[in-house]
Amino acid sequence: MIKSVDEYLGLLRKELAGSDAAVVQDALADAEEHLRTALAQAINGNPNTSEAEAIPAIAEKYGSPQEIAAAYRQMESRLPAGLGRTAYTGQRSILSRFFGVFADPRAWGALLYLFLSLAIGIVYFTWAVVGVSLSLGLSVLIVGLPFAVLFLLSIRGIAFIEGRLVEALLGVRMPRRRMFSDDSTGFWKRIKDLFTQRITWTALAYCILQLGLGIVYFAVFVVLVGLSIYLIAMPITVLVLNMPAYIILGDTEYLATTWSIPFFFLLGMLLLTATLHLTKLVGRGHGALAKFMLVSKKD
Amino acid sequence: MTVDETESADKKFQKELISGTSALVLLSVLSDATEPMYGYQIAKLIESQGVNVPMLKQGALYPVLRSLESSGLLGSRVEPSVSGPPRRYYQITDPGRKTLERWKEMWDQMRTFVDAIMKGESDDQERR
Repeated sequence: MIKSVDEYLGLLRKELAGSDAAVVQDALADAEEHLRTALAQAINGNPNTSEAEAIPAIAEKYGSPQEIAAAYRQMESRLPAGLGRTAYTGQRSILSRFFGVFADPRAWGALLYLFLSLAIGIVYFTWAVVGVSLSLGLSVLIVGLPFAVLFLLSIRGIAFIEGRLVEALLGVRMPRRRMFSDDSTGFWKRIKDLFTQRITWTALAYCILQLGLGIVYFAVFVVLVGLSIYLIAMPITVLVLNMPAYIILGDTEYLATTWSIPFFFLLGMLLLTATLHLTKLVGRGHGALAKFMLVSKKD
Repeated sequence: MTVDETESADKKFQKELISGTSALVLLSVLSDATEPMYGYQIAKLIESQGVNVPMLKQGALYPVLRSLESSGLLGSRVEPSVSGPPRRYYQITDPGRKTLERWKEMWDQMRTFVDAIMKGESDDQERR
């Protein structure tokens, strides 16, 4: 029995394994839109229903993951390739998989995120450190508690916004709505929740950690991308602009000769491609970290 | 035929009927609509017509909507919603309306044809 929207989406994704990536994405988006809308309607109609109670009936009406996957596959097979669909079937050579990363929006998104992470990290770090020290400093005064509450709320806000950013650039599924606390929860209970929920403190830790990670990401990827671009541009800089290129190995300096330029160019292309793969990998790792630190298990 | 076989034959026939007509149904729902509709609204509207077709799964409407869109009979745009993931709103296009007119005629012909054949069958039975 399916008990939650996420579980349904997981099963549907499994059923669709091997289909065109765009079809999978469409199917998941459609299912999520429908199930969440239907769920919201069901909860609106009867506030006491939980997701686990409402979902089985909704999923039954929507169709089982097997049925729905079959419907999308059937549609995919009827559509000619090139009509809004790629003909990509998942069977590609190693070479095209290696260089295909240039056409992968996720790699570029991750690269953008890793570059931005330094600036974002500085902002988060400053905010978190100022907030923590003011909260502690003011705690002896009457305004201490309200200030701390406001500060922690702002951290939760940051966690949400960072989640949207991570989803947009790193492609990791993050919450699309603010955490929901129903009106029956009392004011003091909500404040207590704010202090006791794991997510508040991990989000605060994330804000501080982001600066360190941002510095490392930025440094490593600026060097890698910069070096790649330098090597790729060598045919122009050395042969056209006559700028000398030195290679320093230990104490000896070598001057790059004309015949070696194409090799440096190829090396640059390889390095850039490898960098994009590394970007994707680091992006996925950071996405997992963000998901762990910014999303509460209840979401 | 065992009960199981009867059931699966029925299911298969119903499925084929649905997959043959769902594009027509969706086009006609959207041509009657005064404003763009999203999937859940369309499913609810069809449900509210009161005809209970258990084989018609709401989820199976979405791929049909997608394919109608990719062949230019429907247009769509995505809008954020207040409470949940963004929704894709569908709207019929001019080629869609023209196609619907033709399909309606075809459907009428088909229905008349099938009715006539089945009527003939029952006449035969009466005569026997």
